[in-house]
Amino acid sequence: MKFVAIIRQVPDGEAKLREEGGRIDLSGATMILDQMDEYAVEEIIQLKEKHGGEAVIVAFGPERTKEAIRTALAMGADRAVFVKYEGDADPITEAKALAQVLKEEAPTVVFTGGQQADWDSYALGPAVAEALGWPSVAWTTAFELADETQATAQHDLDEGAQRVQVKLPAVFTTQQGLNEPRYPTLPGIMKAKKKEIKEIPAEELGITGTRVEILSQAIVKIERKQKILDGTKEPEKAAEELVRLLHEEAKVI
Amino acid sequence: MVLVFIDHDGTKPKKGGLEAVTRAREIAGALNSPVFGLVVGHGIDGVAAEARKYVDTLYVVDNPAFAEYTPEKWTAAAHAAAQKAGAKAVVAPASRTGRTWTARLAVRLDAGLLEDVLEIEPSAEAVVAKRYTFLNRVLETQRAAYPVVVTSKPNAAPLAEPKGDGQVEALAVSLGELEARVEVLEKIQEEKKRVSLTEANVVVTGGRGMGSPEAFKLVEELADLLGGAVGATRAVVDAGWRPYAEQVGQTGKTVQPALYIALGVSGAVQHQAGMNKSKVVVAVNKDPDAPIFKETDYGIVGDVHQVLPAMIEAVKKLKD
Amino acid sequence: MALDFNLTEEQEELRKLARRFAREQVAPLAKEYDEKEEVPWPLVEKLFEIGLLNVSIPEENGGLGLGLVEEVIIGEELGWADMGFFTIPMASELGITPVLLAGNAEQKERFLRPLTERPALAAFALSEPGNGSDAAALKTRAERVGDHYVLNGTKMWISNAAEADWTVVFATFNPELRHKGVVALVVEREREGVSFNKIHGKMGQRAAPTYEVVLEDVRVPVENRLGEEGEGFKIAMLTLDKTRIPVAAGSVGVARRALEEAAKYAKEREAFGRPIIDFQAIQFKLADMMIGLETARMYTLYAAWLADRGDPRHIYASAIAKAYASEIAFDAANEAIQIHGGYGYVNDFPVEKLLRDVKLNQIYEGTNEIQRVIVARHIKKNIP
Repeated sequence: MKFVAIIRQVPDGEAKLREEGGRIDLSGATMILDQMDEYAVEEIIQLKEKHGGEAVIVAFGPERTKEAIRTALAMGADRAVFVKYEGDADPITEAKALAQVLKEEAPTVVFTGGQQADWDSYALGPAVAEALGWPSVAWTTAFELADETQATAQHDLDEGAQRVQVKLPAVFTTQQGLNEPRYPTLPGIMKAKKKEIKEIPAEELGITGTRVEILSQAIVKIERKQKILDGTKEPEKAAEELVRLLHEEAKVI
Repeated sequence: MVLVFIDHDGTKPKKGGLEAVTRAREIAGALNSPVFGLVVGHGIDGVAAEARKYVDTLYVVDNPAFAEYTPEKWTAAAHAAAQKAGAKAVVAPASRTGRTWTARLAVRLDAGLLEDVLEIEPSAEAVVAKRYTFLNRVLETQRAAYPVVVTSKPNAAPLAEPKGDGQVEALAVSLGELEARVEVLEKIQEEKKRVSLTEANVVVTGGRGMGSPEAFKLVEELADLLGGAVGATRAVVDAGWRPYAEQVGQTGKTVQPALYIALGVSGAVQHQAGMNKSKVVVAVNKDPDAPIFKETDYGIVGDVHQVLPAMIEAVKKLKD
Repeated sequence: MALDFNLTEEQEELRKLARRFAREQVAPLAKEYDEKEEVPWPLVEKLFEIGLLNVSIPEENGGLGLGLVEEVIIGEELGWADMGFFTIPMASELGITPVLLAGNAEQKERFLRPLTERPALAAFALSEPGNGSDAAALKTRAERVGDHYVLNGTKMWISNAAEADWTVVFATFNPELRHKGVVALVVEREREGVSFNKIHGKMGQRAAPTYEVVLEDVRVPVENRLGEEGEGFKIAMLTLDKTRIPVAAGSVGVARRALEEAAKYAKEREAFGRPIIDFQAIQFKLADMMIGLETARMYTLYAAWLADRGDPRHIYASAIAKAYASEIAFDAANEAIQIHGGYGYVNDFPVEKLLRDVKLNQIYEGTNEIQRVIVARHIKKNIP
């Protein structure tokens, strides 16, 4: 069986963002494998360990994406297919490109992050599934592969959750709780160097532009009042003052 | 033409559905077109009777096959309705499910997807939308030419007012092999005692600094006093102190209440992504260096076990 | 064009892994283990799982065979998070190194392979209660009896000892021969007559376990002897010539942490209506911290690079790196406290721990005075 994780490289959540000419400048930011995609990588490695077969990484993005691919390979995936595309992209555009790759790879199961930490989008997984004519399950918290043709999964809804039975192949997006992603290991890093990363220029898949255009980006800064009281000596007094401020000044209680 | 998907709780349209109607009307204004609505479910006569008041024509998919949500079925229904209406734009609420099936619909319609929008500026050619990206840290302006699929961020649009009685049409949706590939085995309900986290005006969140699951009794007490909901951080949920349904943050819920109180919460970026648009933020933490204080309007540096009971007393006194 | 300051792609990946581990796993627990004065075994186990423990063990013995440049990369990151924690794997390498330098094939396989198969540590015992820096004046006796040595004496300030599978013990079979009378023996923890007393009340590095090792009629087979009788002292010195480089790396990590903490605080803290980083008095402190950090890091990598190439200049370079890096790190930690004012003096902020921890870097693996002796010896011999 073949298991695929679709991954992206995104800025580290702790990284400070910079704005340059109405756009976010990522050149100085620490870039990481998207933490929601880490669950996807972990899941396909576990599936491979349990059922045998191959764990394949599929990625889309600029050249630097290779760093995230290497991380995924160092965690234990076998090889990668990398669709290289410089510039803005959107999940629908990416999905159309990746569907062509996945059609050829013909995996049993595909996992990807429930949300991308740069786009704040939920769309990639279901869009890939749609482009392939496969079912999709979003925000998966538990997954059990029955055999090559069937799996059961639990996933979050708006409120509550569902347990579903899905005919494979299908695309699953991840949610916290699905698994506990492992760290890449040092031997893994050394082995990853020798693993194949097949590079495909996006143009070869007919992708030349993006469906949704980004006009501008601005860092949001809500100015906070920053009235911090010292409650280490007289906690009761500080608490009373806080409640008074919330009532009289902020008028929220 | 514009199609709006109106979601519901089984008896009446949900808030998100009526917010989506507002966005649909804005686009319809720019296109000079009527608004078509869509409701999907089983046994939803009541919903339809209510929803028709907001649109010119309401398509109703009322069918046992649609009793349980799957993205494939919802996409099929929305696609059929969009085709029938000749829609250039489809609007839906940006709920978790809404943002899933609309991604499929965008691919099927070869449309641009504008997700979780705060506001829109439609013209005859395109929709320009504002939305948050980069874990809620960036305000991004996007543009997509028609056809477009738009999901409307909860609490961002005003609720639409009813305006007359739209025509109701039953819509037949043919389900194929794809829709048969997912079978819902079980629906798991979330335990709910208070107002829902995403709709609450006040959210009181406890973090690791609370020290124990028992200490959340006081968090609940403060939330109840203020008529609010209880939130929890990921660390607390991971430790099993509180249910996942209460988690605020990137992988939990995004809240935007008038008052957000963070107790013993250090304030990791992933947590802030779920609450940093709250109107007034209050934090109590013993670590003056905790990142949460940077996102705080009113805060107390101190031991939450001393401060919280005192806050409860002070609120009680205020209420008397 | 031979001069190239780039790390290889694998070294960059290694840095990323070590940095992530340090930030996510080690740093959050540093304060707790410091307060508890307890060995963070769960962290040692995780370090093993990701392959960052005992990294110098050669591939033929089941290890990764990494060099000092890689150890330096790891050391800066772990030192950044908790110098006390870093001392645990660092001291294990200190125990491994004599085996690498002087052990035969059978000994390497017997002693090193088990350290690659599970989270386990080694240790190195040279210092004694009555002599630290004068390493040739050993009192611990190793008396040859048939195919065994019988060890008697006390070793002091031994990192890891009771936690380690085995300790390389240096002892004299003839005190009159001074350094020519020293033998290096691998002593397994379970051998009869070995006992350990944990040293409490340390100023810093309290996660790292330090012991007094008491040896009472401990019988050690000749097969556990590294090199020949009389080579022990040379083995110890050759070891320290290398292993003080990671001490420098840990110091660089502490210096970086001090700079980061101080810069962060200086940007946030306001006085006279503006952030204190706007004041020259603070700026100069921060600039000096950065000058120290950058030069120490470069020089530490240079020393490691020399050692990995087998270039004898590493002997004085490692001494310079160790002394210099630990001193700039001490100064950086000290100034970080000063910039924090009163907050720097309490343990709500991490800077006071940096100072307590890094003080030891000026003392262990040869005091900075001894490092200067090494440098001076080189000057006397080689500088015209």
